[in-house]
Amino acid sequence: MTARLMQGNEAVGWGALAAGCRFYAGYPITPSTEIAEMLARELPKIGGKFIQMEDEIASLAACIGASVGGLKAMTATSGPGFSLMQEHIGYAAMTEVPCVVVNVQRLGPSTGQPTSGSQGDVMQARWGTHGDHPIIALSPTSVRQAFDLTVQAFNFSERYRTPVILLLDEVIGHMREKVELPDPAAVRVVDREITSVPAEWYRPYGDAPSDVPPMAPFGTGYRYHITGLFHDPAGYPTQRLDEIDPWIDRVFRKIERNLGEIVLVEEDGTEEANTIVVAYGATARSAQHAVKLARGQRAKIGQVTLLTLWPFAEAVIERVAHTARRIVVPEMNLGQLALEVERIAGRRKVVRVNRADGEMVTPMMILEAIERK
Amino acid sequence: MPAITEARPAAHKGPRGRVVIFGTWCKGCGLCVEFCPTGVLALDQDSHPIVVAPEKCTACHWCDTHCPDLAIVVQPLEVAR
Amino acid sequence: MSKDEHSAYNYLRHTKKFPNVWCSGCGIGIVMSALIRAIDRIGLAKDDVAVISGIGCTGRMPVYLDFNTMHTTHGRALAFATGLKFARPELKVIVIMGDGDALAIGGNHFIHAARRNIGLTAIVVNNSIYGMTGGQHSPTTPLGSRAATAPYGNIEPPFPVCELAAAAGAAYVARSTVYHAVELDRYIEQAIRKNGFSLVEAVSYCHTTFGRMNKLGPAVEMMRRLKENSVTKAAAEKLAPSERPDVIVRGVFRDEDRPEYTALYDEVVRRAQGAAGASVRSAGGAG
Repeated sequence: MTARLMQGNEAVGWGALAAGCRFYAGYPITPSTEIAEMLARELPKIGGKFIQMEDEIASLAACIGASVGGLKAMTATSGPGFSLMQEHIGYAAMTEVPCVVVNVQRLGPSTGQPTSGSQGDVMQARWGTHGDHPIIALSPTSVRQAFDLTVQAFNFSERYRTPVILLLDEVIGHMREKVELPDPAAVRVVDREITSVPAEWYRPYGDAPSDVPPMAPFGTGYRYHITGLFHDPAGYPTQRLDEIDPWIDRVFRKIERNLGEIVLVEEDGTEEANTIVVAYGATARSAQHAVKLARGQRAKIGQVTLLTLWPFAEAVIERVAHTARRIVVPEMNLGQLALEVERIAGRRKVVRVNRADGEMVTPMMILEAIERK
Repeated sequence: MPAITEARPAAHKGPRGRVVIFGTWCKGCGLCVEFCPTGVLALDQDSHPIVVAPEKCTACHWCDTHCPDLAIVVQPLEVAR
Repeated sequence: MSKDEHSAYNYLRHTKKFPNVWCSGCGIGIVMSALIRAIDRIGLAKDDVAVISGIGCTGRMPVYLDFNTMHTTHGRALAFATGLKFARPELKVIVIMGDGDALAIGGNHFIHAARRNIGLTAIVVNNSIYGMTGGQHSPTTPLGSRAATAPYGNIEPPFPVCELAAAAGAAYVARSTVYHAVELDRYIEQAIRKNGFSLVEAVSYCHTTFGRMNKLGPAVEMMRRLKENSVTKAAAEKLAPSERPDVIVRGVFRDEDRPEYTALYDEVVRRAQGAAGASVRSAGGAG
């Protein structure tokens, strides 16, 4: 397709459509509303469905209902709405219903600064809802990546029957860049595995070689039960440990055995660097500039850009921590993913660069941390 | 499924329905006994319903449309004119 | 089906343990039985029926039924059902809720689903209490009644459920009681046939919590009270306003034809695709 100037939020919309999203339910909230407006326009053109619900709780509930009906579904929100969606992120994880939740982060807490950027919801994306459950969270660093990672978010949610969080920040969401989107036909799209066994054999939560049981849409002859209660392979509520424990093992295993595919990372000069910058989202752009400046003074600097925030890229950080004496972790929050880096690389090595006032972490702030004696 | 039609009383001798109770599903709530219009049912010593006057059943279906546990059914009988 | 079997068995999940989980004498089982009779009389194919519930005693109903069933989160059943219906308009989607489920935490979704007039059949089993959590007062608990969280008497006036649904825009609104189970299954049948948002309020009771706290006796007593303390709409109109203030009025309070949401959205698809005359049924089914 021809290159054009495109906004990050709009790219998320095009990514969703390219991935096969045919259902959007959402609620207006700065700085994500452009996603909704774009899809309200584009979805009906291709026979898709758009609905503005009465709140964010209802929005994610409607997405899950639509996904159970067989459609790929997405919602988009920002901090306050993301907080309201937590119970249903847990419900989607428990019922293993694919859906994509976009959170265009804005300065919080509370009303905060609606038009200012932030990366303050990173831990909420991992631990926001009650109980232990696996989660996948991705974060783009450019308008093109906003498109690509939206497609990736759908593919992961369909392949692993899990909710996937797409964490933008207001900077990526609202900025415009020249972008040449791929031809939709060239986009690799993954669809959920549909079952073909006779109806009475179908187990919506049975064991499967991939640990991801096929999912039959409602209304196609597989009359099964979905519940937020712990459930047995048929989906019926259970309190039996010999059904609960295997479920927990399987649901975590279906993600952990596929980290190779799920954990997306870009590395630049990390082989024998003695200083590594670990960054994500808009902050990764400032980091790239800082690294370029630092390299100017012959220092051996590398950068790890995390596209997948959750599951955390433990293996990569562990590897680079072997050679690096210092790991700089800049974030538009007061230190969240830095906790994970410190857990893996040890606190002594990690230098945090933080601000949570709505402005971007600047290259100078990162450069200073790199060169600090 | 046989359509449940209102039982219209007609001049006849025998019962118009045969009441069957599923003891395993019945929780002994007593609703069927309490509201059976013709006293077909009574509670046994475990306060579970038993058919005590089968001939009085008019197949009005009160019991099997109100049983919270679907533990009672009235089968229509061929009514001898 | 052997002649001794209850005709409802054809609609139960035989892989589920029976008897059901509800207290002996609870009205929810009666509502389930009425729902089955309504579906059977209409002759719906099981594959085309989805039953969605929230959290509470009513939440445990769908799992017993051999349809496409979902047990969702407290108060949000109508939002899940909206998504499913919108994605698969050809499905008959029935939503089972309790009074707290539908009108307290679920109140926002209740009024908006009605306002949109999306094709859902909402059945509110109104026993005026939170039964599962042990008898706390709900938005339909009568003034002055005792509850676990109103030990000195409830001071909150109850919602008029049917008027609320009608005011919000529902196309069909009716009320009956679990004593009038045959009347109830008629209203449920009409509600399912209705093309739009339909509400059936099934007045029931909870002898385990509300009955005990307010000394109203066992299930048979509370059932008797439903019989003696309810009148038809026609009879109620003859009563003077002050006469029998807390009588339960049964009947169909609204039955209008209003544009249904998913049909309206087909128009949106047509306008969006700029197709002059061609009518396009929007793409349901696998994405």
